[in-house]
Order: sequence, then structure tokens, then C-alpha cells
Amino acid sequence: MSQVEFVNITIDGTTVQVPAGEMVIESARRVGIEIPHFCYHPRLTMEAGANCRMCLVEVSMPRKNPDGTLALARMPKPQTSCSLPAAEGMVIETETPMIVEARKGMLEFLLINHPLDCPICDRGGECPLQNNTMHYGAATTRFVEEKRHPPKAYPLSKYVIFDRERCIHCARCTRFASDISGDAQLDFLKRGADMEVSSFRDTEFTSLYSGNVIEVCPVGALLSRPYRFTARPWDLSTQKSICTECSNGCNIKLDHRAGKLLRVNARLNEEVNEEWTCDQGKFGMDYASHEKRLRRPLIRDGAVFREVSWDEALTHVATALSEAGPAAAFLGGARSSNEDLFVLRRLFQEVLGSQNMDHRLGPAYPSAADVRAALGSQSPTPIAAYERMTTIIVFGCDLAVELPILYLRVRKAAVRRGAKVIECQPSSYRERPHANKVTDFAHSSIWYEPGQETAIAEALAHVMTGGRDPGASDGASDAAASLPNAVAEANVEFGSAIPRLDDGPIAIIIGRDVWSRSLSVPATLKAAADKMGTPCVINTYACSVNEQGARELGILPDGSVQASAPGLNADQILHGLKDGTVKALWVSGVDIASQFHDPELVTQSLEQAPFVVVTALDLNRTATMADVVLPLASVAEYDGTYTSMERRVQRFHQAFDAGVDVREEWRIAANVGMRLGVDMPYASWRDIFGAIATSERAFAECTPDNLGDGGRLLADRNNEDSR
Amino acid sequence: MTHDRTDPAYARRFSPDAVRELEELVARYPQRKAAMLPALWIAQREYGGEITAEAMEEVAHRLGVPPVEVEGVASFYTMYNLKKRGRKHIEVCACLTCAVLDSASVIHALEQRLGIKAGETTADGEYSLSEAECLNWCEAGTVVQVGHRYYGNVTAEDVDRLLDDIAGDPRNDVVTHADTVVRVQLRGGCKGRPRPSAEVEADRG
Ligand code: SF4
Ligand code: SF4
Ligand code: FES
Ligand code: FES
Repeated sequence: MSQVEFVNITIDGTTVQVPAGEMVIESARRVGIEIPHFCYHPRLTMEAGANCRMCLVEVSMPRKNPDGTLALARMPKPQTSCSLPAAEGMVIETETPMIVEARKGMLEFLLINHPLDCPICDRGGECPLQNNTMHYGAATTRFVEEKRHPPKAYPLSKYVIFDRERCIHCARCTRFASDISGDAQLDFLKRGADMEVSSFRDTEFTSLYSGNVIEVCPVGALLSRPYRFTARPWDLSTQKSICTECSNGCNIKLDHRAGKLLRVNARLNEEVNEEWTCDQGKFGMDYASHEKRLRRPLIRDGAVFREVSWDEALTHVATALSEAGPAAAFLGGARSSNEDLFVLRRLFQEVLGSQNMDHRLGPAYPSAADVRAALGSQSPTPIAAYERMTTIIVFGCDLAVELPILYLRVRKAAVRRGAKVIECQPSSYRERPHANKVTDFAHSSIWYEPGQETAIAEALAHVMTGGRDPGASDGASDAAASLPNAVAEANVEFGSAIPRLDDGPIAIIIGRDVWSRSLSVPATLKAAADKMGTPCVINTYACSVNEQGARELGILPDGSVQASAPGLNADQILHGLKDGTVKALWVSGVDIASQFHDPELVTQSLEQAPFVVVTALDLNRTATMADVVLPLASVAEYDGTYTSMERRVQRFHQAFDAGVDVREEWRIAANVGMRLGVDMPYASWRDIFGAIATSERAFAECTPDNLGDGGRLLADRNNEDSR
Repeated sequence: MTHDRTDPAYARRFSPDAVRELEELVARYPQRKAAMLPALWIAQREYGGEITAEAMEEVAHRLGVPPVEVEGVASFYTMYNLKKRGRKHIEVCACLTCAVLDSASVIHALEQRLGIKAGETTADGEYSLSEAECLNWCEAGTVVQVGHRYYGNVTAEDVDRLLDDIAGDPRNDVVTHADTVVRVQLRGGCKGRPRPSAEVEADRG
């Protein structure tokens, strides 16, 4: 590691030590000076940057006089501080008469063609252009000619609308597309007086990360279609939350007003999402305020549902469950909070004496012992750790769809840190229409047909260990020459495409499609990894928001340390409903009728089930087949924690009261328990979280107060006793 | 969006010769995309005088850059035809010097004769007329470019002679590739300046 070199620079009279080469605009922040700017963004490259000229400062550099003394020489023209690297002895002035004048001039230029229709602009009130004009601009303009009038509401993508009139050509959106999401679908066309940002031939902007350009745009040019014209920023309240659309655990802000969720913006977390979101997260959380939300508990009355009071519904559920006792079962839970799951588990294990719990959706249900045998007890690779990987292998995973924020980190590791990315994917992924494919930055791509996974894994394992077989000569390409027969039969091009794998840490990401069917691929790779001299982690990441929480908290047939025999897995539970051995089912938060590996089995089982209670936000397919439907509080309406795929426990906070009669699932479960004579006296998420920390080894170091804003990784599994 | 140059799906309309020509050009530069401008000329030729969306996509895939970046370059230079032109593309310089020498009257006369406005193409697809930026032969304004030939000292009265001259000559066909242009005088010198009687070669750079 090279030593960071520091230099002394003086900014408006304050001398500060900063890393050599840091941009002066950043150094100024260290002494509390915010230099106005538009195009500068610390996460975007400077290519096509430094174009708005708003960040001008005056610069003096020390120079040697003929007699050897030092004097300050002022540069004749102001410099852009966003592209000026700090150097020893540099003196920066940010408020000289020249700078004041220059800023006025730059703003006058920027506003020549800008409509200044702030009263109808979504950005008004939180707009850098508006703010800087108020602070630094002139009161009037000398430009009396007609402004340009390009289209005001051009639909760029499903989610983004483009007001071309307001664009100040800062190139933030185009740089986001090329530097961060990598789809590079936006660029400047017709450079010159008519320059405009556009996609290729006005085709749809299909990036899976399109919503981020709304946030990086320093004016109201790129706008959210669902949010447009719905609120003024000063009328919004903001609450810290966690995105529930996948397991990455992106930190977000919920902007809401009068009990309605109006928009989702990213919240900074360097370890997780930096400051990005994917479109699914930004635009997919509208369910919280959807008009289809369930408002009251429902009880089936023949072919229809009847709205009932909570008391009636809960009594009904308690009776049915207690009649079933150990023959009761639980499915789902991957979308419930840690607290919900903990209380639900207590209800089933302690109150009902049932271990029939499974959060998995099949088709394979390996036991905890099988998982340990195949994968050991390694903790998954944390998101930020990808930047330190030398090699990243993506196996059967459409990363941008399955784990979108991890995709951005893997891409960053490849593009900025030089990690070699190897993908082994079903060839059908090539045809998928969306942008953002691992192929765009992969060192090599290996395509296989369904059924060849194991052969590919064996070939990969062979290459991983090839150089170290005593018989084999050193080097990956030699290893490739002697691939096992299985691969030769599979007829995929392999060996020479693979670089040396043993020169640094490796992370392997295995897609849900692969690991949920069988552990043979992860097990094969793990066995090879163990033979390598370099650290290599096999990741079978959870995909739903709290699926990892369900794993940690043992929402599994063998998830109990006390129980002598394991309960039924999800398939067995559903079959049990048909043959009468399972007498009552609780489906929690997940629409299993749509998401189960065998939807047909779900439909048949639920039709024949003696009793089904479903907790849900809306009347999903599973709920329509239930006997009792209980309306759940959405993530915006209660407090709690989730465990993300990297085992990060993070807080979400209640943003508003939905104004409908919904409840947290833990409260429902505790209430049912109470009706069955077991008191679970929890008053808030804190009580339950405290109980989790006491009873679960992995959570032992967590307290309700030490999660902070960025969450906390659970203790490394290698230091735990296996459950 | 993959930029896989070997994928047969992307081998579209470039002929084997064109591909060879492009690869020779690419070999001169440290980066593939440095050959963007000549690649666009090749595309304009291979796609029959027009840079279509497909042409830009083919260039993008062959150079390994996103298509919108190619469009960004192609939309900057007026000599790339982003829309279909007539077989004879008449470009009249409307820049400062030529404007002072009344290029407007030349444009007007051509509009009258062809029955189209500047920026349009005749219904039979034979002629297009447009205004051009400085054609870099200001001392001979008004300058008119038709295909690979430049006409100097054109006035409104010369319009018929100009149309006769370009009618049958393939050198006046719409520019499909970068090449040497030829300067042409329709008549003897004027204003006392000596004029070359024959065509003179000039490098357009
Ligand atoms: S972009 Fe900013 S300055 Fe422009 S109209 Fe909107 S609020 Fe006003
Ligand atoms: S649309 Fe916004 S981000 Fe993009 S160039 Fe214009 S002002 Fe900048
Ligand atoms: S912020 Fe420095 S030039 Fe735009
Ligand atoms: S102004 Fe017409 S050729 Fe230069």
C-alpha cells in the first residue's frame, strides 16, 4: 500500500492538511466552506466534467524569488476548484470581488435558456440552481431575446420524464449512465447551440438504475413520473428507512405527506448502496400507499369475505391454531422484520409446540447439517468488500435483477479497481432485454444450457485447483487443457477464457436459480476453494428483504435447538394440508401462490386446507384463498430491523400512520399467544430486539441503540458455535 | 448492451472490404474508438449515403462504444447525412463571406428551380438542397458543394448551368466517403481575378 502524501493548503485564511491531489472543492469542505457548484459530483469521473464553471476560486501558488525567498504568485484567471488538485503551499480564496463577479456572470449564462419556471417545478425548494441563483446570482438578466423551447415533458423512461428546457448541460446524468450504472444510454447530441441530452435515437432509457439521474440532476430537468406535481419539497416529511424490494438492504429516505408515501430517495451508506438505489426500490415501494391496501381484518363467509374487528379475527385465529396445536404450520416470513419473525417463532415453538416452519419457496430443502457440510460456516462476503476482490465469479445470477446494488459494487470493483469478473450464465440470459449485464464488464463469459450447471461447476473447480495438483504444471491455462470429461461433453468453451485465479481474494456469487435447486454447485466450488491457497468465499445470498433474517432466526423445520426432531419443510407442509396431517397454516407476508416453485401445489393445498390465515398488505392471490386475512403494517408504518444479505442488521423507522386499521405482525402473533395463555409482553420493537440479542448468538453484540444509521454486521460465523 | 465484435448478429451491412478497411484504420490508433470519424464515413458509404440508426449501431458495435456516443459524434458534423438525401445534395454556403456575397439569392434561385425549400428533397429523390456552414473557400463565395465537387463564384444566374453540370456526373453524387474534393469554376474569372480554367484539386482535409 502506498503511503498517502499530505500537503498544506490555505483556504480563506484557514490552513489545512489534505491528501495531495484532492480536489480543492473537497478540501474546502474540510474547513466548512461549501463552494457553489453544479456539475461536480464526487462519485462521477471528471471526464466531461468541470463544465459549469460555477466553482471558480482564486488561486495563488508559492514561487521562488531570484534571491531564494518565497512569494505568492496569484494565477491571472480564476480556476475551477472541482478540477484543481491541492498542492503544497496553495492559497485559495473563495470570496474575492473577482469571484463574486464571476459567479454572477456564470449564473447569467446558465439562465439564458433556463425557463425559471420554479413555481411549477418539482425541484423548486431543493434546487441547487435556484439556491445558487438566490445566493450568488444577479437580480436581473441582460438577455432579452427569446429563450430556446425544447420539449418540456419528454418521457425518457418508464419512470423518468425529461424537461429539456431546464437542462443546464452539466453532464451529471450522462456520467452516471457511463460511470456508475454502465449502460451508457445517455449522451449529448447536436453539440453546439442546440446541444441536448438524449438516449440513442430517442429510444427508451432502459437502465435498471434510471431513477438515480433524478437525484443527481442539479436542476429540475430529470423528474420522477410518479412524483411529478404531487408535492412541494417543503411540505414533505422525511424518515429513514430500508428498501424492502430485495435483500441488499439499501438505505433510503421515505418522503411522505399526510399519511402517504410520495417518493423514495437514496440515503447515504458507504458500506451498502453508497448513494444509489435501483428503480425497483425507488419506484416499487408505492404499495405502502396503494389504494388496494387492506384496511380491516377479513373472515371468509362462504364465497366472500366479511370485514370484522381485530378481536373477532384474532379469536378465530387463536381457536383454529390451538385446535391444530403441533399440527399447525408456518410458511413465508422472508418479508417480515426480525422482531416479527422472533415472536412468530415463539408462538409456533413455545405456544403451539410446532416446528413446521419454513421461509423457503423450494424446490430444494437442505437441512442445516447439509448446508454446513456443503458450505461450512463462512459469513457471506459484505458488499463493500467486493472492492478488495481480485476475482469475482458470478454463477447463474442475473445480478442487476437479483441483487441490483451488489451489481453496482461488482461493476465498480471491475471497472475502477481492476477485479477480474468471470460469469457462468445460462445462455438465455443473453437474450434478456434489459440493460446492465455482467457481460458488459466481465473478463470472460461462459454460457451454458440448463442442466449443465454441475459440469460447469466441476470445470471451474478444476481450474481453481488445477495449478496446485502435484501432477499438474503451474498456471491456469495448463489446467484448462485437461478439463474433466463432463465439460468436454457439455461442449462449452472454457479454459483459456479463465485467468489465473490464485492471485488474491475471490468471491463467488451463486444465483438463486442455482442454489435453490441443489447445493451441488456451491458444494463443488466450496471443495475447490478449500484447496486453494487464497481466500475464497462461496455466496448463496438471500434475495428477499429479510430472507437472511429468516435464516438467522431459524424459520426452518430444523431451526430450533431444543426440538428433538425437525418439523416439516414447505413442500411437506403443503402436502400435509392435502392429506390432513397439517391442520392449520399461517402464511406470512409472502404471496406463495405466485412465488412458490410449484404454484399448482399451493393452489390445491390451500383449497383443501382446513384453516389458513394470511397476513398481507393487499388481497394477493394467496390471501384470496384464505379463511382469515389480517392486514399488515407496511415498512413505512412501524419500527423494526431487517437483516440484509450481507448479514447487516439495519433499522427502519415508522414514517406515518396509515390511517387504516393495520398491525405489525409481531403484535398479531403476541396477541394470539396471549389468547392461548402465553404472555409475550412486548411493547415495542426494542423489547423484542433485546430478547433476540439475549437468545441468539449471532445478535449477541447488538442492542437497540448500537445499530446506528448504517446498521451493523452480525458477528462472524466462524466465531460462533454452529446452531 | 454488449459490444461483442465477434457476435455474428452484429455483422450487418459492412462488406468484407469495408471491414478490412476499418480494421486497418483502427490499427493506427491506441483505442478503437479513435477511428470513429472514418468509421462513420465508411458507414455512410455502406449504407447508401445515409447514416441510419442501424449504421450507427453497427459502428458502435465495431468500435466497442455505446450507440448514443456514435450518435453524439454523427449529429455534430453536418457532412454526415443523418437523414436520407437526394442523389445530388446541393449545399450552399450561407456563412459570413458568402452571405455578404448574396448566397441568399443563390439559395432562393435553387429553391425556385427545384420547387423545394432548403432542407428538403425533391419528390423523385434526385435533389436535396441545404445551407452549409463555411466551406473554406471564402475568396470564391458564393461557394456551392455538390458531392465531391466545389463550385466557386456562383451567382443566381449560374443556377441553370450548375444544374446542367451536375446532372450526369457521378462525382456530384451524394458524398459517401471522405475523399479529395475538386474545385470547379462554371465560367471565367470575375472582378478581375484570374481563374483557373481547368479543375483544380484541393485537399479538403
Ligand atoms: S430547475 Fe430549479 S431554477 Fe429551474 S425552474 Fe426548476 S426550481 Fe427553478
Ligand atoms: S439533465 Fe440534469 S443532470 Fe443531465 S445534463 Fe441536464 S442538468 Fe445535467
Ligand atoms: S463544479 Fe466545477 S466546473 Fe462545474
Ligand atoms: S463563407 Fe462560404 S466558403 Fe467560407
